[in-house]
Amino acid sequence: MSTNELLTGKRLIGRVAFSVMLLAAVMFVCSLTGAESVSLKKAFGSVSTTGAINPDYEIFMQVRVPRIVLAAIVGAALACSGVVFQGLLRNPLADPYILGISSGAGLGAVIAVISGFNWMLWGRSPIAVFAFLGALGTVWLVWLIGRLAGRSNVTSLLLAGVVVNAFFSAIIMFLTSIARSDQIFSTIFWLMGNITEEEWFILWLSGGCVITGVIALFYISPQLNVISFGQDDARSMGINTPAVQTIAFAVAAAITAVAVSLSGLIGFVGLIVPHGVRLVFGPDHRQLLPVSAIVGAIFLVACDTAARIVVAPAQLPVGVVTAIVGGPFFLVLLIRHTRKVGWLAK
Amino acid sequence: MVAGGGDLDLLFIIDYLQLAGWGRLVKMMNKWWFLVLAMVCWVASGFALFGQQQGEKDAAFSIGPERIVSMAPNLTEILFALGLGDKIAGVAAGSDYPPAALSKPKMGSFWQPSIEAVISAKPDLVVTLGFSQQRNLAQRLERIGYRSLTVNIDSVSELYEAIKKIGGVTGRGAQADELVLGVGEKLKNLSALVGGEDKVKVLWVVQREPLRVAGRNTFVNEMIELAGGENAIGPTVHKYPPISSEQVYACGADVIIEPAMVSNDLGSERAGAVKYWGGFKNVGAVKNGRVYVIDGDIVSRLGPRLYEAVETIASCLRPGLFEN
Repeated sequence: MSTNELLTGKRLIGRVAFSVMLLAAVMFVCSLTGAESVSLKKAFGSVSTTGAINPDYEIFMQVRVPRIVLAAIVGAALACSGVVFQGLLRNPLADPYILGISSGAGLGAVIAVISGFNWMLWGRSPIAVFAFLGALGTVWLVWLIGRLAGRSNVTSLLLAGVVVNAFFSAIIMFLTSIARSDQIFSTIFWLMGNITEEEWFILWLSGGCVITGVIALFYISPQLNVISFGQDDARSMGINTPAVQTIAFAVAAAITAVAVSLSGLIGFVGLIVPHGVRLVFGPDHRQLLPVSAIVGAIFLVACDTAARIVVAPAQLPVGVVTAIVGGPFFLVLLIRHTRKVGWLAK
Repeated sequence: MVAGGGDLDLLFIIDYLQLAGWGRLVKMMNKWWFLVLAMVCWVASGFALFGQQQGEKDAAFSIGPERIVSMAPNLTEILFALGLGDKIAGVAAGSDYPPAALSKPKMGSFWQPSIEAVISAKPDLVVTLGFSQQRNLAQRLERIGYRSLTVNIDSVSELYEAIKKIGGVTGRGAQADELVLGVGEKLKNLSALVGGEDKVKVLWVVQREPLRVAGRNTFVNEMIELAGGENAIGPTVHKYPPISSEQVYACGADVIIEPAMVSNDLGSERAGAVKYWGGFKNVGAVKNGRVYVIDGDIVSRLGPRLYEAVETIASCLRPGLFEN
C-alpha cells in the first residue's frame, strides 16, 4: 500500500469503517473465548426462569463483555495519546507515559494500597481515584516545570518528565520496600497492568470521556500535522502553537489518566500501535488518530483475551502479553515498511 | 479556539447535519460546543440508564450455605475443620490440606482469582481474605449478586475471630467454638511446658538472597513466642525486614529457622541451607548446628493447624522436650 496517496475524506471514512467492523468482529470472537465455556443459547435462551442464577448469563454479561469493553476503551485511549505525544514531542520513543503519568499514577496507587484505605467513591476503590489524581497531578507538575524552564520548549518538557518519573519511581520503590508482602503483590499487579470487569456505568462514563477526547484530538489533527514537522514551521504557517500544544497535552493526559486509573500501567500499546499504524497507513494525523484508536482497542482486546486463557483459570498480567506479542510483531512491521517509506516518512 | 485552517474537509459530520436540515443550529455552535454538548448528553444518559441500579439485589439468604467457595488455602482448612468439606464447591489453587481439598475444582490462584470459575461453581457463599486482591473479588461478586464473606487473618486472635465468624455464617457456630477452644487449650498446655525456661532467640529466615527475616509485627513472631522463643530481631520498620550479614552476627540467634518454600523436597532445601549458613561459622546457631528447615506450608498458613505449627517450632527450640 502506497502512503504517498492523497488522503481523501472517502478513503478516511472507508478505513475507519473497516477498522470499526474489524473491532466488532474481534470483540465478538473474544467474548466467546474464555476459561469457562459459555453458551449464548443458555445465556439468553431462558431469561424468564424463576430468578434462578444463570451462570452463563452472569459470566457473559457481567464479567466477560464488560471486561472486553474496558480493554477496548483502555487500548483506544493509550494508542491515541501515544500518537499525540509522539507527534508533539517529535520523538519516536515517546509513549503516553513519557511525561511521568505512569509514575504519578503508580505513586497514587501505591499510597492507596499501603495506607489500606477501604472506602469507596462512586463505587470505585481508592486505588483508582488516587491513581487518577496522581496521573493528572504529575502531568500538571511536569508541564509547569517545562513552562518555567522555557516556553514551549520540547526538550525541557521531556527532561522534566524523565526526572519526575525517576523521582517518583524512587518513592514507589521506597514505599514498596516497607510494605507488607500482600500489599507488594497488589502493587505489582497494578504496576504490570491488570484488566478486570467493570461496572457498566463506569464503562459508559469512561468510554464517553475517551471518545470525546479522541474527537477533540481529531479536531486539531491538521494543526498537529504541521507541528509534527517542527514548531518553527508551524509558527510561520500561522498556527497558534502553544494553544494547540496545551489542548493536545491536556486531552491526551486526561484520557491516559482515565485509562490508567481503570487498568493500571499497561505498557507498549501506546508505543507500538501508533508506529504500526503510521508505518502502514502514513503519518497524517487526521487518519492516524482515529485508526490508531481503533487498532489500539483491537490490539488490547486480543492481548487481554490471551491473558485470560493462556494459564486459565489463573491469568497473566495483560502488560506481559502486550509486550511479548507486540514486540516481535512490531519488529516485523518495522523491517517490512521502513524500507518503503523511511522513518516517520520524513 | 485554535487558529489555523485546514479542517474544512474534516467537518463532514457537521456537513451531513447541515444537509439534514440542521444548518442553523450547526452555525450557531462551533464544533467545540457541539462536542461539549454531546459529552454532557452522554453522561446524563449514563446516569439515566445505570444510575439507579444500586441496592436492588438484596435477596434474603438462607442461613446454611450449600455451595461454598474458598479463596485461600487456610480458609479451605478452616472450612474442612468445621466439617463443611462436602459443601465446598471450589478452592483456590494451592489448597492441599486436607488431601480431600486437592480434588475440589480450582478457582484460580490466591493472587489472581478467576471470577469466571467462581461464577460457574454456582456458589451461595464465597469466603475471601481481607487484602486488596481478595477483597476486590468479593466486591465484584457482590455487585453481581453473590454473597461473600471477607475475613482478616493476620494474627492469632484474628484467626480465632475468623473461625467463629465463618462458623456463624455457615451454621456451624458450635463446631467453631469447639475448634477455637481446642486449639487454645493445647497451646496453653504447650506454653506451660516451655514457659518457665529462658527464651530461645530465633532468627526466622523467609528469604536467603537477599536475606529477609520475620520482624516483630508478624504472626510468625506470635508463633515464636507461643513456642517459648523470642525474635532475635528487634522492632523494625518493615514487617519482614531485609538485614545485613552484620546483623546476623550481632543478633545473637540461638536458633535459625527456615520454612521451606517447596515442602515436598525438604532434603535439597536443607542442603542449600547448610551451604549458605556455612558462611556464618561464628554465629552461635550455626556453630551449634541449630539451623532448622521446616515444612513451610504448616507455619506460613494461619489456620486450624496453628497448634501443630507452634509445636513444630517448639521442637526446634527445645529438641530435648519433644524427643518422645
